[in-house]
Amino acid sequence: MASSLVTVLRSCSRASRAITTVRFMSNVPEDTVYGGPKPQNPNQRVTLTQLRQKHRKGEPITVVTAYDYPSAVHVDKAGIDVCLVGDSAAMVVHGYDTTLPISLDEMLVHFRAVCRGARRPLLVGDLPFGTYESSSNQAVDTAVRVLKEGGMDAIKLEGGSPSRITAAKSIVESGIAVMGHVGLTPQAISVLGGFRPQGKSIASAVKVVETAMALQEAGCFSVVLECVPPPVAAAATSALHIPTIGIGAGPFCSGQVLVYHDLLGMMQHPHHAKVTPKFCKQYAQVGEAINKALLEYKEEVSERLFPDPSHCPYKISSSELDGFLSELQKLGLDKAASAAAASAEKMEHSDSPSSAAIL
Amino acid sequence: MASSLARNCSRFSKAISVRFMSNLPVDTVYGGPKPQNPNQRVTLTHLRQKHRKGEPITVVTAYDYPSAVHLDSAGIDVCLVGDSASMVVHGHDTTLPISLDEMLVHCRAVARGAKRPLLVGDLPFGTYESSASQAVDTAVSVLKEGGMDAIKLEGGSPSRITAARAIVEAGIAVMGHVGLTPQAISVLGGFRPQGKNIASAVKVVETAMALQEAGCFSVVLECVPPPVAAAATSALKIPTIGIGAGPFCSGQVLVYHDLLGMMQHPHHAKVTPKFCKQYAKVGEVINKALMEYKEEVSKKVFPGPSHSPYKITTSELDGFLTELQKLGFDKAASAAASAAENMEPSK
Repeated sequence: MASSLVTVLRSCSRASRAITTVRFMSNVPEDTVYGGPKPQNPNQRVTLTQLRQKHRKGEPITVVTAYDYPSAVHVDKAGIDVCLVGDSAAMVVHGYDTTLPISLDEMLVHFRAVCRGARRPLLVGDLPFGTYESSSNQAVDTAVRVLKEGGMDAIKLEGGSPSRITAAKSIVESGIAVMGHVGLTPQAISVLGGFRPQGKSIASAVKVVETAMALQEAGCFSVVLECVPPPVAAAATSALHIPTIGIGAGPFCSGQVLVYHDLLGMMQHPHHAKVTPKFCKQYAQVGEAINKALLEYKEEVSERLFPDPSHCPYKISSSELDGFLSELQKLGLDKAASAAAASAEKMEHSDSPSSAAIL
Repeated sequence: MASSLARNCSRFSKAISVRFMSNLPVDTVYGGPKPQNPNQRVTLTHLRQKHRKGEPITVVTAYDYPSAVHLDSAGIDVCLVGDSASMVVHGHDTTLPISLDEMLVHCRAVARGAKRPLLVGDLPFGTYESSASQAVDTAVSVLKEGGMDAIKLEGGSPSRITAARAIVEAGIAVMGHVGLTPQAISVLGGFRPQGKNIASAVKVVETAMALQEAGCFSVVLECVPPPVAAAATSALKIPTIGIGAGPFCSGQVLVYHDLLGMMQHPHHAKVTPKFCKQYAKVGEVINKALMEYKEEVSKKVFPGPSHSPYKITTSELDGFLTELQKLGFDKAASAAASAAENMEPSK
């Protein structure tokens, strides 16, 4: 009972802070009366509060993208702070050349799969191209679906035009945390003329800083800075009191984000090597490991080395086998009966270490 | 011209005996989607040739563009877009929850990535069991919207045999699947090996033969004792593709994530099948890489100069600093200036 009084007091002081400063929210409240979805670990999910604390202490925030259950589990196990379900899925999962083709329904499938796998990181879902640009209403509707049907904790949207700032504000007002994104915004490659770094001219550099600040003003809890020169990122980071998450933006941001497949060297296909970004460090060569493994599997199957006895766990008892052979003969399948008998003998002999290839 | 006409005639007469089809005909008058390599896609003919020569057929599952590309580069014969996606991609405990729309998304992504292997798409639970016409409609979607070359369906009950036949008659190649059929765990009582008693073993052989009769081009045998698989393989003239069925099948199939050791999560380790060999420990590699990234970001070691490629010229930088000061952002201006200096010596 005393603890719930403490809870109430904590909630009150937090509420007053919330009114004055920046609105912070997660759709899995820390102090729920009836417990959260996994009541045994109510405080395990990373929240905006924890990100704010890291930012205050100058501890860099780590972000990695994920698109399905296994990658979400990996990002969770590695202790990454934020798991971003990016519309980069269009390129790395679906094989398109841009992020434009992916639909909201497809993103929702990715969101749900990631939600099932990642219990600890904060989950941020990208709003895909075409689902939030026409009006603030459309933006709020999409953002609501991302949380409601997708199970995400927050959303990210690209751009800093006046209509985007308005959309971001409307989404925040509907109770959904928003991560902004300025600099190179991949959904806008049509007007940008390709995946080209931004902020290289005075006007462009100033725009990066101004739009980041406008997004902060609209209520965003952080802003991604993509592909801008480090001094521009440093200026924006300094001007903001919310954290900046950089990608190809140098070391002066409050945190970093990379695409899962890029940082793992997941693709070894020559075509994909062309689009591996220069700013991304490959922390592993998973693509090569996969290729090697598949070639070995192919070789072992072709040479009839796989499956070997240790990978043949299912047995039929001798009595059942005999009955089976009789039935096969009754059905006129004599050849099949001998094949079965011969294989049973081979399996028996291969239990001894001296046996080599099966056939 | 004459030789291809002659070849077509003899092929046609063979077709009357065993029906074989791919939805990308080898000798297309107007070329295929990629006319520069019209014969590159593995066809049923290639599989039949391998089977005749006793060369094992290799099959691996894939669910997205990167895995499809990997299978293609490794020269795997058949790429199966399995409803196992429900478990390994979506994290469900069974293959039941995945919908046709979700499978179609997987099929399309794989079709974009794998140009050479034969593409087989699984019909997911609930999309083909009510009637033969439902089955045909679903199979048509899988080829039409999913870009697959053939479909796979599970089971050997009379209604399934009828459905398989109807799909073949619609012009779609069908791969059968008997033994442990994961969509039927409700009646099977779990993921349990089949064919361990006389009746069950005979049923495996009989249903496989019925599927061949219905026009299937191959049959998957899942989790049955090796002698039962050997009997079925011998009784059939079409190839058998085994998984947990011993070494006497005409080919083998494994799930991508399982063979690569993709999952290192303790929950998933419980369900890694005993019959699957792990040819790599990708999950451990991924974990190590992510922990290193986290460490480097936390210690501000990443990104270093070699991973900060974008520059701003000195003149533009100066103009930028001036503008910032005009806007009253003095702190930001100094941050930018010292950042620029910081990046300098690294050149």
